[in-house]
Amino acid sequence: MCTGEIYKPFLKRADTMRYRPYEPWLYLAPMIVALLFVFGYPVARLVMMSFQRTSKGQEIFVGLTNYIALFQDEVFLRAIRNNLTLVLNVPVMVAVALLLAIFLFERIRGWRIHQTTLFLPYLLPIVVVGIIFSYIFQLSGVLNEALIAIGLPQLALDWLGSPKLALWTVMFVIIWKEVGLGVVLFLARLMSVEEELFDAARIDGANWWRLQWHITIPQLSTVIEFFTVISVITMLSWVFNYVYVMTAGGPGNSTMVTELYVYLQGFRYNQMNLAAAASVLILAITGVLIFVQFRLRERAGEEEVFA
Amino acid sequence: MKRLSYVLAVVAMLVFAVCPAATQAAEPVKLVMWWWGEQEAPGAQKWLDETIQLYQKEHPNVTIEAVLQSTDSLIPSFQSAIAAQEGPDIQYVWGGVWTLEFVWGGGLAPIDDLIPAEELAHYINNFERTFEGKIWGVPWYLSGNPFVYNPSLFEKAGLDPQKPLETWDELIAACKKLRAIDVIPISGGLKDGWFGGWLYSILGRQPHDSVKDIMDAVVGKTKFTDPKHVEWWKRLAELRDAGCWNEDINSLDYQQGMDRFVQGQAAMIFGNDTFLKGWAETMGSWDNIGVMLVPKYANGKMANQYIVTAQGLGITSWSQHKQEAANFLMFLHTKDRLDAWFNYTGVLPADDRLDVSLIKQPQLQQVYQWDTTIPGPNLENFIPTMMDEQANFAGTQLLFAGEKTPEELAQMTQDVVDKWSEQNPEALENFTRWAQ
Repeated sequence: MCTGEIYKPFLKRADTMRYRPYEPWLYLAPMIVALLFVFGYPVARLVMMSFQRTSKGQEIFVGLTNYIALFQDEVFLRAIRNNLTLVLNVPVMVAVALLLAIFLFERIRGWRIHQTTLFLPYLLPIVVVGIIFSYIFQLSGVLNEALIAIGLPQLALDWLGSPKLALWTVMFVIIWKEVGLGVVLFLARLMSVEEELFDAARIDGANWWRLQWHITIPQLSTVIEFFTVISVITMLSWVFNYVYVMTAGGPGNSTMVTELYVYLQGFRYNQMNLAAAASVLILAITGVLIFVQFRLRERAGEEEVFA
Repeated sequence: MKRLSYVLAVVAMLVFAVCPAATQAAEPVKLVMWWWGEQEAPGAQKWLDETIQLYQKEHPNVTIEAVLQSTDSLIPSFQSAIAAQEGPDIQYVWGGVWTLEFVWGGGLAPIDDLIPAEELAHYINNFERTFEGKIWGVPWYLSGNPFVYNPSLFEKAGLDPQKPLETWDELIAACKKLRAIDVIPISGGLKDGWFGGWLYSILGRQPHDSVKDIMDAVVGKTKFTDPKHVEWWKRLAELRDAGCWNEDINSLDYQQGMDRFVQGQAAMIFGNDTFLKGWAETMGSWDNIGVMLVPKYANGKMANQYIVTAQGLGITSWSQHKQEAANFLMFLHTKDRLDAWFNYTGVLPADDRLDVSLIKQPQLQQVYQWDTTIPGPNLENFIPTMMDEQANFAGTQLLFAGEKTPEELAQMTQDVVDKWSEQNPEALENFTRWAQ
């Protein structure tokens, strides 16, 4: 029997197994239906609600009225400004996480313990962190008592009670808690970089700075991009717990953020349609950022292939 | 034989006609109650557990599931339930606007047809739940706002603990005397906002004759920038400037501010009478607690009143067992349950059938006397929530931070109310009907 004859039955079968373009969709269908049900419907409903208002128990279409009301609301504009201010945290977090990751990568004494310690805040529940720091930052709290004890009473300020300081205090706490994730991400990537790269650079006479600038940072670029994008998303739409626990948006709305605004509109002021409009805006901004993240990762993937 | 069958049939019909309750009683009924109150009336949980047990014993077909809500989840949870038209049969509701917003949202049913008028007549503060001639909930217990002081600290500062402060000048002078002995005159905490609303209710009332003055400003007939409405901001600033308050008021929650009083660091507090029993226990004795009315700075009729609101329970519009729910609410108001409530919590029930001989403490006797002779509305219950949060909560914080003047804060209040009117034409319409 020749080889061709041996494979004949299989070839015959392969002929019948022609590519059917709808087949992958059939496999995906259950998941798509589930996703549409879990995410698609609520999002569609949310968008619909944002163009409606309740009148005499009926939802009536009001066009852009809710969006216009939002942009005329000083508290909402304040919330947007505060979220954008929080984005200033991101470069700080990236820089701090990068430095700490490099130090740990260089196996400084006790690096394993330091690694755990640095990641620990990230694992703590935000509510716990918020409550602890609320006590620390009270006017009569631990920090101010320590400052007074060491002879620096002029630095003992009302960290959470002053509208000028409260947002910066919250920002500090967010950095303290979130930076651990960056450290772990960066360190994990650094561990997979070939040691020879660093050795070769050292033999060529590269000093510490050049080593980081020409090897560490380029090697970490995709992870830095990833961490940057998720941190920006966090600052724009994932800081509710910090603010709610530490300041409740005060004093005088000085720490109001968009998520808290949505919560208050929906659940305190009974204005679900305005809350929906604000949510749609947050969703849109976050959606754009997620898209950017995907594009960056795609581009990084292409660069790697061409390299 | 034919005749016998006829007689038997008639007897059987009569039995079923006479005893429908017995047959219905066998039908199992489950009532779900979402409640709050242990937070301000410790002991409420034990009382409610006992009450449910007793009721279930009397009505074996009825099961009651009581779910205690947190302060933060009480309103959002019920709003979600209203949106879904599904949830508890009985819902805890604060008075005034807190109840009526649920009514306007379609969440509560009127109780007039479920509870006889002669029974309702015993309940205190029904007016807070009355809208367009119907009553939308059952008052449960009273929550008033006495100005509480520590007599021993008064004595140390050279103040007469037997002679409560009556005028504003006396209050300012007392603050100075207390500061001189290094005691915080009045303690409070504004960080979580709630106390700002209390301050409005406690101080903002004095220039006005009735709550209608406030509601008129809400619906646009007058302005919150009118002198009578600006006055309380000025008086609050006066207290701040006289050193009456703890300096860290903006960085403390209300609870933490309250702790300053209970720990003996502060001499006075704008308190809540539901806390008195707990404070007395923590402070070791009722001797450390004195109650007085808020010293007067104005001559409106409400300046002479004692703020009291009735916390209550409503029956949901979707409940399949409205009458059974109403029966249970009436059971809460039976004599035995009223007396037990007071014994468990030290808080006065919103019912005039309480055995007053149970009230042994002079401080609580005083509160009961105020409750029944000079009761006045809690202003916070008659303004939109948005005004409370964005003007009163935020405004008091800004005042203590020194960021805004009283006039600017009055303007801020007006701006918030204007915004609320624009964003909520329907709520404005409801408020206008309510104000009438």
